[in-house]
Parts: sequence; structure tokens; C-alpha cells
Amino acid sequence: MSENTIGKKSLNWVDSRFPIVDLFERHLSKYYSPSNINVWYLFGFLLLIVLVMQILTGLWLMMNYTNTAEGAFSSIEYIMRDVEYGWLIRYMHAGGASAFFALIYLHMFRGMMYGSYQKPRELIWVGGWFVYVLLCAEGFTGYVLPWGQMSFWAAQVIISLVGSIPYFGEDLATWIRGDYIVSGITLSRLFAFHVVLLPILIIAVVFFHILALHEIGSNNPDGIDVKKHTDADGVPLDAKPFFPYDISHDFYALGVFLIIFCSVIFFFPEGGGYIIEYVNYEPANPLSTPAHIVPSWYYTPFYAMLRAIDFSLFGITAKFLGFIVMAAGIAIFAALPWLDRSPVKSIKYKGIFSKTFLSLFVISFFVLAYLGSVPPTEVKNLLTKVFTIGYFSYFLLMPIYTRYEKCKPVPERVGEAI
Amino acid sequence: MKILLFLVSIFLSQFILSAGEFNCGSIKCDNYEADVSDKASLQRGLSTYMNYCYGCHSLKYSRYKRVAEDLLIPIEMYENNLIYDDSKIGDLMEISLSKSDAINWLGAYPPDLTLEARLRRPDWIYTYLRNYYPDSSRPYGVNNRVYQNVNMPHVLEDMQNSLTKLEYDRVIYDLTNFMTYVADPSAEQRKRVGTYVLLFLVIFTAFAYMTYREFKKDLK
Repeated sequence: MSENTIGKKSLNWVDSRFPIVDLFERHLSKYYSPSNINVWYLFGFLLLIVLVMQILTGLWLMMNYTNTAEGAFSSIEYIMRDVEYGWLIRYMHAGGASAFFALIYLHMFRGMMYGSYQKPRELIWVGGWFVYVLLCAEGFTGYVLPWGQMSFWAAQVIISLVGSIPYFGEDLATWIRGDYIVSGITLSRLFAFHVVLLPILIIAVVFFHILALHEIGSNNPDGIDVKKHTDADGVPLDAKPFFPYDISHDFYALGVFLIIFCSVIFFFPEGGGYIIEYVNYEPANPLSTPAHIVPSWYYTPFYAMLRAIDFSLFGITAKFLGFIVMAAGIAIFAALPWLDRSPVKSIKYKGIFSKTFLSLFVISFFVLAYLGSVPPTEVKNLLTKVFTIGYFSYFLLMPIYTRYEKCKPVPERVGEAI
Repeated sequence: MKILLFLVSIFLSQFILSAGEFNCGSIKCDNYEADVSDKASLQRGLSTYMNYCYGCHSLKYSRYKRVAEDLLIPIEMYENNLIYDDSKIGDLMEISLSKSDAINWLGAYPPDLTLEARLRRPDWIYTYLRNYYPDSSRPYGVNNRVYQNVNMPHVLEDMQNSLTKLEYDRVIYDLTNFMTYVADPSAEQRKRVGTYVLLFLVIFTAFAYMTYREFKKDLK
């Protein structure tokens, strides 16, 4: 570009008023990522795309949605039938919710596998965990809005959990519902949370998450600190600029992701009842409870934990205890940076115990997800208990097994032989 | 290790057990494959629905006009033959049976069936409509294998008696096909658009891959 082109001039004009060049360099063209990062590092970008998609499709849904108990259900059918491409917007939003959770679980697992939560990335991890918690709330509030049978009864079950808190639980549940049962009042407040409060918080915390990440830089599959070895200009040797190297990889991944995503929303929009549950095609009816109340697939591991606790302990009711265990199952992720005492980050160099317990965690997560989605039997109940213990042992025993196991030496540089 | 194997075997047995459950009441659902591209079948299904079901079961999320257009029925023909009250062609397909009358006469309000095929699935409807049997203990003298002690009379009884089994199955096939269509009227358009979207995405991904590969060469 020559000195006097219009483009250059306008860029200078803006740049002297807003640090656009500096921002571009700091976050893209001179933001370095380790040269050895792999496919597990693509999910963050995809999550950002899905977030934008959810905001845009949500905006369009909101233009035609009615947030009253009388009008909600038929307004969804109005969107599906009478709004031009309303079915597409709605399937994108419903499928987007499932995609959001699938991607965030993969993204979290990457962090657990490569120790991305370890020093100095504790705040990135905790910020990301908070996004996950907000997303759970966002998913739940959104699920209620179509006001079908499962919407209603899921809301009834989940909010009634708050009622299990001793002394003030029932009052608190009534306060949250704004009524003695889930009603139109509950619907319209959950709608307000879903479209205003939670999205604002999610965007804010995602911003924090990315800002913190760009301060420290990405971890990598070897857990090597690439900033230790730099050239004369301070550029890390085992790294590459995010723009254009990572972004081109991200767009390739986006193409692959969209092929999968669009195959689902155009050809299997209900996802076999996992994305849109069949029972939800019946309008909410407070007088008729569905045979099996099942949450969306992305909550089923935690729902299984809730059901695993069918006994009271120390005078605490089974319901409240289950609620505590379920909440702990989600909350405990935040403690990971302080539970892990290993001198190495990546699972590649950790010892046999870390590998075993991480595998146990993954198996438990999947088994609980399955068990939480089917009606309970005696045997299944027992299995739920066993795998709930499996799930928590990964976290709770971590301070012990990470401290005493034998780790492999970590190379100083990427690709270096030990 | 033995305990682990034991647990795994119990766990796997749960899958097998749940696979054998009956999903149509006391019996297994019959195989049913809808074909909403078969407009003639949908038209026959619509005519059965309007003549036998629509007196009690509304299709209140659907509009007459949409059905007429999707099923390739001329608007004027539709207005003259398939709208029984003073509704306009753009109106929702609501019925004139009032809730209080229905409860007085039938004991319950017959549900709207627009979304029935999405709620219960087409194979359930197909099996249900073909499994009425005589039962003198019930008020209408009939019972159903799929939906025990159902309140609904066997509306198609005369038809079933006058047709051969194959002909009756065909009527139910068309009726279920229409109900599958009306539950999800955009299915055809969705698949058509989806094919183009996927074609575009394959091309997009190919170019994105080539860009990625080109940049990757720098790093070697």
C-alpha cells in the first residue's frame, strides 16, 4: 500500500483516535500461539461462532415469540409455519444449543487433558467455567420458553430443587417462580433472563476469558512454556502468529463443523428427540405429568447424580443432598487448578494415575449421561451411584495422585527429544 | 477386575433390556415410513381427515391456505369443498365444537392433532388406528391395543368393515401420511434447502482447506 491511498489515510485517521492497528497486532497478527497446538484447539473459535449464531437467531425468534402462558406454544408454531424461514431460525437456535454444549464439553476436556487450567492460567479456566455455568442457566431458561409439556415439567422439577433447602427453601422457590407453581409469571421472568440478563453476562465473561487468554497465551499439548525461548525481537521461537496461521485453520474447522451442524438441522432437526424432545410438542399442562421427565442430554450426567442420592444423611433430606451433589458436580470444575499438584501440565507427561483417573472421569461422564436419560431401575440406580463416585474421585483424589505419581520429563522446546 | 467385568456386563444388559420394550402400548409399533412427497396420498389423507376426524379434532396451528398450496389443491376447489364454516382460506383450521359441549357429550375435549405425529410419532398413529378391537365392557363397544381404554370411539369402524384389510391399511397409511405432513409442513422445503446449503459448505470447506494448507507450508 502506498503512502497516500485513501485506505491508508482513513486508517491513519481512525488509528490516531482509536488503537485499531495496535489491537489488530496484539490480538491477531502479533498474537502468537504455540506451533504444536492440534485439533483440540479449534473449539474455542467454534464456540465463539456458535455464540454469535445463537444471539442472531435468538434475536429473530424474539421478533415473533410471545412470552405468555397463553401465547408461547402457538407462537412457536407460528414461527415454524407462518414466518418465512422461521423453521430454519428455530432449528438453528435449538440445534445451536446442543452444539454449544457439545463444543464446550470438548473445549473443557482439552483443558483437563493438557492441564490448561494450571498456573498461570487459573483465571482463564475459572472464567471459562463461569461461562459454562451461565450457559447451563441460559439453556435451562431457553428450554422453558416453548411452553411444551417438558418445558413446564423440567422447570417445575428444577425450581422445586431449590425448595429442598432447609428452613427457607420453599419461600425461595416461590420467590423464584413468582407463583406457587410454575406459571405464566415464571415464564415471562425466565424469558427476561434468557434474552437480556444471561446473554449480557455470557458476553462479558467470554470477553474476560479471551482477554485473560491473550495476556498469557495458549497452552499446548506438551504443556511447554513457549515464551521462554524467544528471538532477538521477543517473538517466541516455537510459535506462529494467530493471523493468518490459526485463523485459516479455524475457518477450515468451521467448514467441517458447519457441514455436521447443517446435516443435523436440515435432515434430523429433532436429533432423535435429543435436540427437541417429542413430549414438548404437547402444550404445557399443569394437571398431567409426563411419564418420564428427562432434561436435555447436556444436563443428564448431573441429573443422574441428583437421582443417585436416594438416601438422607445426617438429617439432610435425600432431595437436598442430591441437589448439593449435583451442584457440586458442576462447581468442582472451578477448583481444578488447585486440586492438581502435578509438576507437569499435559497428560502426555503425567503418570499412570492421572491417565487412569482421567479415563475414569470420561467413562463416568458418559455413563451418567446415559443413566440420566433413561427411567431408573434398581440396577441402574446402583450404577448411577458407582459412577457418581467415579466422577468425583477424579477430582477429589487429584491432590494425592498428582503429587505422588511419577511423571515423565517435559522437553524444553517443542519437538525436542528427551 | 472381576468386579469391573461384572459391572460392565450389568451395564450392557441394561441396553439390551431397554431395546425390547414395547413402544406402542401393549404391542410393538408396526413399521411405518411416511412419504410426504406423495401428494396424491396426502390429498387422500386430507379428505379422510376432514370427513372423519375434523368434526372433533382441530388442526389449529395450521392454515387452510398452507395445506391447499402444499397439497396442490386449487384454492377455489378447497374453499368450496373443504371449508365447512364461514372461515376464510387464510384462517387457522379451528373447529366449531366447543369445549363445554365436548365434555358434556364425550367426557373429554378431543385434543388438537396438528402436532400429533411429532408428539407420538407416525408409526404410533399408524399402529393405533389399525388396532381397535371389539370390547363390550367399553362405552362404545371398542378398545385399543395401543391405547388401552381409550375414550375415542372407532370412528372408522364402518369403513374398516366395508373395505378389505389391504384397502383399509392404505386409508390409514394416507391419513397418517397427511398427519405427518401437517405436523411438519416445512420438511420438504427443509430437505431441498439443506441439500444446497451442504453443497455450498463442501465447496467452502474445500477452499478453506486449501488456504489452510497454503499457510501451513510457511511453517515448515
